Amino acid sequence: MADYRKMWSDLEMDLEKHDLLCEALPEAFGAIYMSQENRPEGMDFFNFVVAEIHGVRPAELVEHQKKGGKVFGTFCVYVPDEIIFAAGGIATGLCGGSQFWVPGGEKVLPANTCPLIKASVGARLDDTCPFFKIADMYIGETTCDGKKKAWEILSQEVPIHVMDTPQMKREKDILAWEEEIRLLFKKVEDLTGNKVTPEILAENIKLINEKRKALARLYSTRKNSPLPISGKDVLLVTQIAFYDDPARNAAMVHKLCDELDARIAKGEGVFPADAPRILVTGTPMAIPNWKLHHIIETSGAAVVVEELCTGTRYFENLVEENGKTLDEQIKALAGRYMQTNCACFTPNAERIDDILRLVKDYQVDGVIDCNLQFCGLYSTEAYLVQQALKEAGVPYLHLETDYSEQDMEQMRTRVQAFIELIGK
Amino acid sequence: MTTAVYDYYVLFPNHQEGLRLYRKLKENSIKCSISPTPREASSFCGMSLLVSAENVGAVKKVLAGDNSIQTEGIVKIKRRTALWNKTC
Repeated sequence: MADYRKMWSDLEMDLEKHDLLCEALPEAFGAIYMSQENRPEGMDFFNFVVAEIHGVRPAELVEHQKKGGKVFGTFCVYVPDEIIFAAGGIATGLCGGSQFWVPGGEKVLPANTCPLIKASVGARLDDTCPFFKIADMYIGETTCDGKKKAWEILSQEVPIHVMDTPQMKREKDILAWEEEIRLLFKKVEDLTGNKVTPEILAENIKLINEKRKALARLYSTRKNSPLPISGKDVLLVTQIAFYDDPARNAAMVHKLCDELDARIAKGEGVFPADAPRILVTGTPMAIPNWKLHHIIETSGAAVVVEELCTGTRYFENLVEENGKTLDEQIKALAGRYMQTNCACFTPNAERIDDILRLVKDYQVDGVIDCNLQFCGLYSTEAYLVQQALKEAGVPYLHLETDYSEQDMEQMRTRVQAFIELIGK
Repeated sequence: MTTAVYDYYVLFPNHQEGLRLYRKLKENSIKCSISPTPREASSFCGMSLLVSAENVGAVKKVLAGDNSIQTEGIVKIKRRTALWNKTC
């Protein structure tokens, strides 16, 4: 098998501890993913990415650095990748989705911090993730209090630039976000030593838009019945989009979509046509967090769409491509990113509008709103989501969980009862 | 009591060899999937090719006909049930 130990060792990783993760991942992936029947062949590329998760892509990033390039680690869908790629950098998602990293984060964070933050901090402090070790700079944001404080801890390890995400969407807030994009622009230019011209930025706006269009095409295939692909597989594709090369990723997603279109034409699906159709909303599901999807899809229902950061929030809305000057382009970027509806904003009625729209477009039978423990923003907003769905007559279930296996059977019981209630 | 199902994992010294065999099997319409290598099969991470019992003979035939593809053997492993609750 491939031996990346030299690279991991050069990155000063804890090889012994990291090996425990290498041992756990194939086991979990085998049970959750490889056990599915009739998966599209196009998923093989994404299986490959997981199989080589700490090998092939990290090696590409290291190669980029050897040629003088810089790597920027990001944690949120509000960070404009376009700027980073335009400056000749590479942006790579760093959100931690594994229970394996949680104890490392708990060494320095309060116990009542969400597992995503604990895992992200733990991955760095325990030296068990090459992506966290490779990044020359992390780009943080102010989308929650836990993250804001975590940046201060992580900044003792690696340079961090924090973008001040507005908490409201008034005109002055959008202007403030434009200013934040300008500051990132300058920071990235300074670190890479590359000047960004309007022509280069235009190319990279197009590059990231193409990735968004590919994901939008993939999600659209799920409006069909029977479903040509499982929710678990689409979740994996979305998670991988955060750190794969954007052009390659778009090409592989389109290839998968060609196969799915053929399945749709033949009426071929991966679930019975009458399987209840579930929309999942709530907090992000960073790789390798596949817990809720696995429970839903082994309980007789199918996930047809995710109103998540690892879902529609990531790819909906394109950046206007007609800007000729940097000012126009930055304005267009700010406008697009401020259309993303995260619970860190007040008010955030547009997120509820999004959920209601997706319920209709994807013929959803029930909504499962799941937030990670200690995420005050999404758990509080759940009240309003529930209220709106009740009014619209859409069955709703709220769950709160973490990355551990301890509550899986309790969750399964609740999900099964919900599916029974939908009674399709 | 359910009957145990076994899968076969073809192991490789690196992913380039794995992808070569993958393409070759696809050309020959032999079903296989790229998979992370289970720890029971090898102590090194990385890709392997997952093949069902009915196709393992065909895979061996392809390998016998093209000895330029390097493998590190084929390992037989009991399949886990999808209801097995595991996160990582």
